[in-house]
Amino acid sequence: MNSKTASQPIAMVQTPITSPAASFSVGGLFRRPEAGAFLGLFGVFVFFLVFGSLEFLKPAGAASWLNVAANLGIVAFPIGLLMIAGELDISIGSMIPAGSMTVAIISGYYGLPIWIGIAASLGLGVFVGLVNGFLVVRTNVPSLIVTLGTLFAVAGLVLGLSVLLTGTTSVALKAPELAKFFFGQFVANTFQVIIFWWLALTALYIYVIHYSPYGNWIFAMGGDRVSARNAGIPTAKLTIALFVLSSTSAAFVGMCQAILFNSAQVSAGMSFIFNSIISVVVGGVLLTGGFGSIVGIFFGTITFAVVNQGIYFTSFDRNWSSLIIGVMLLLAVLMNNTFRSMALSYSPKKK
Amino acid sequence: MENCSFFEARHPAETGEENPMTLLTTMTKALATTVAICLTAGAVFAADIAVVGGKTDDAFWTKIKKGVDDSRFVVEANGGEVSYLQLQTYDNLGPDAAGLIRTAISQGVTGIVIPNWVPEAEDEAIKAAVDAGIKVILMNAGSLEKAKELGAINYVGSDEYLAGVAGGEYFGKGGQKNVLCVNTLPGSANQEARCKGVIDGVTKAGGAGKQLPLPATSFGDPTAIAEAVKATLTQDGTIDGVITIGAGDADAAASGIQQAGKVENVKLGSFDFNEAALDRIKNSAQLFAIDQQPYLQSLLSVTLLASHIDFGTDLPVKPVLTGPGIVDASNIDSTLSGVSKGAR
Repeated sequence: MNSKTASQPIAMVQTPITSPAASFSVGGLFRRPEAGAFLGLFGVFVFFLVFGSLEFLKPAGAASWLNVAANLGIVAFPIGLLMIAGELDISIGSMIPAGSMTVAIISGYYGLPIWIGIAASLGLGVFVGLVNGFLVVRTNVPSLIVTLGTLFAVAGLVLGLSVLLTGTTSVALKAPELAKFFFGQFVANTFQVIIFWWLALTALYIYVIHYSPYGNWIFAMGGDRVSARNAGIPTAKLTIALFVLSSTSAAFVGMCQAILFNSAQVSAGMSFIFNSIISVVVGGVLLTGGFGSIVGIFFGTITFAVVNQGIYFTSFDRNWSSLIIGVMLLLAVLMNNTFRSMALSYSPKKK
Repeated sequence: MENCSFFEARHPAETGEENPMTLLTTMTKALATTVAICLTAGAVFAADIAVVGGKTDDAFWTKIKKGVDDSRFVVEANGGEVSYLQLQTYDNLGPDAAGLIRTAISQGVTGIVIPNWVPEAEDEAIKAAVDAGIKVILMNAGSLEKAKELGAINYVGSDEYLAGVAGGEYFGKGGQKNVLCVNTLPGSANQEARCKGVIDGVTKAGGAGKQLPLPATSFGDPTAIAEAVKATLTQDGTIDGVITIGAGDADAAASGIQQAGKVENVKLGSFDFNEAALDRIKNSAQLFAIDQQPYLQSLLSVTLLASHIDFGTDLPVKPVLTGPGIVDASNIDSTLSGVSKGAR
C-alpha cells in the first residue's frame, strides 16, 4: 500500500503524520494539515473571551458547545470522509429523525425492550446506507442526487409510517436507566454522555484513517478514483462502507437524542446537513475531495459549535446571531486556507 | 343529487288545481321541473362543501381532517357532501392553495372552507369563488377583516397574537416576572405574533418579557436549542418563565432548564403540545400549553357553512375563535382522553 501510485495530495497529507523520520519542530507543527483548523478555533475562542465572559470556559459553559459539537461531530466524521473520497451524503438530514422515531415508536409507543429499538434504529441506518452506496456505485448518478432522493424518501417514509402507526408525528419515549446511562444521560448534570462516544470515535477514526491502509485508500479515491481502482483499491466496497457509516452514525445520533430528550419528532435534523458540511469545510477538507484530516474535522466541529453557541455568552443583540456566525466561519476558513497553502508550498531548506 | 326524485318534485302538482283535464299538463310541467331541479340540485338544495387544507400526514392537519370527517355526518344527513382537498407539498403554498380553490369552483361546489395562508396569491381565487355564488369561510389562517374584504361569511380559527397574550397573562397570574419567548423561526409572522403576544400579556400582568431569536443553524437541533436556553438562563438569573413556539422545542427547553438547575424557579409553557409535553404537564414539569384546538376549526367551519347554505342560518359571532385553549394540570386528564381519540 505504501507504493507511490497514489496521487500527490495523499503523500502530502500523510507524510507529516505517519513518517517517523519527521523530526519535531514548532514550524513543523504549524505545517500539519490540521494546524489551520486549530488556529481558526483559537481565533474564535479569543473572540468570545474578549466579547463574552469567562462563563464560556467553565464546565456549564463548555458543555454548551461540547454537547452541540459531539452530536454534530459524530455525523461530521463520516461526512468528512465521504467528502475526502469525493462523495456527499445529505440523506443524514432525514436519517437523524428516522433514527429517533424508530426507537421511539418501537420502544416508546409499542413498549418493546429498548435494545430492540436501538438495534432497529441502527439497522435502518445500515440499510439506508447500503441503498445509498449501491445506487451511487451501480448507477454512477452523483451521490448528491442519490442522497437527495433518499433524503426525501426516508423523510416521507418516516412521516407516513409514524402517522399510520401512532397517529401523531411526535412520540414520547421513556428509556430504562441502563439505556439512559449509555446513550442519554447528563454527566455531572450538564455534559451529554454522547461527548464520550464522540471522543472515543475520534480516537478510532484517527487510528483507522491515519495509521491503517484504509485511510490511504480513501484519500486515493478522492484524489483520482480511476487510478485508485487500477492500483487495486476496492473503491466500490469502500464507497458503500462509507455511506453505511454515515447513515448509521446519523441514526445513532438520532437514537441518542430520542433517549436524552424522552421524545422524538419527524421534523428534526435537517439543519445537520448544512452544519456538518460547514464543520467539515471549516476543518480543512476540500470540497473537491482528496484532502483533509480527522483532527481537522474535530477542530472544525468544535469551531462551528463554539461560534453557534458562543453568541449566548456575549451581550450582542440576539438578532445579529446569524451575521456573527457567518462572518466568524468565513474568517475561520480563510485562516485555515492561508495555513494550508503555507503547509503545501513549504519546502525545507537543504541541510 | 341522490334526493332528486319525482316525489319531491311532484309537490307543485299536488297543490295545483283538482281539474283532471289539466292534470296531464301539470304532470308534464312537474317532470320538466324535476329535470331542471335535478340539474341544479347540488347548487340549490344541499351543501356541497370543499375543505382546502394541509397534508394530513402532520399532527395538526390530522386533527383538522378528523373535524372534517365528523362534520360530514351532519352534512350528509341533509343530502350534501364534503370533500377534503389537500396540498401535496408546502413548497408553493399560495399558488397551490389558489389552484385548489379553482379546482373546487370547477367541481361546482356550493361552499368552500379555505385557510388564507398567502393572501397575495389566494385572494383573487377566493373572490372568483364568491363571485360565482359560492359561500366561503376562512379557516385557520386569516382574519375577520380579510373575510369581510373578500366577501366570505366568517373567519373560524385562532389569533396568534391573542394566544400569545393569553400565555403571557397565564405566566403573570402564576407569579412569573420575567419571561423568555424562544423563537426558533425568527422572521415568520405567525411566530413573531405569538412571541409579541406573550411579551405584551406578561407586561400587562405586571412582569416583563423578551424574545430569544435562534439562528437558522439551530432549527431542528434539540441540543442546540437546549444549550441556548441553558446559556440564557445562566446569563440572566431573573428569568423565571420560558415559552417555546412549538411542542418539540419545549422538549429541548425542558432539558435546558433542567441542565441550568432551575427546575424549581423557571416555569415552562409551550404553544401546541405533544405527548411528552402532556406528560410534563401531568408531572408538573411544565406549567401549561396553549392549544388552538384545530379539531374545532374544521368541525365548526363545515357545519356553519353547511347550515348557512342549507337553511340560511347566520351566526352573529364573528370571528369564531377556537383558541387559545389552555391545557394545564386542571384539565390534563380530559385532554389526554381527547388525544387518545385523535381530536386533540
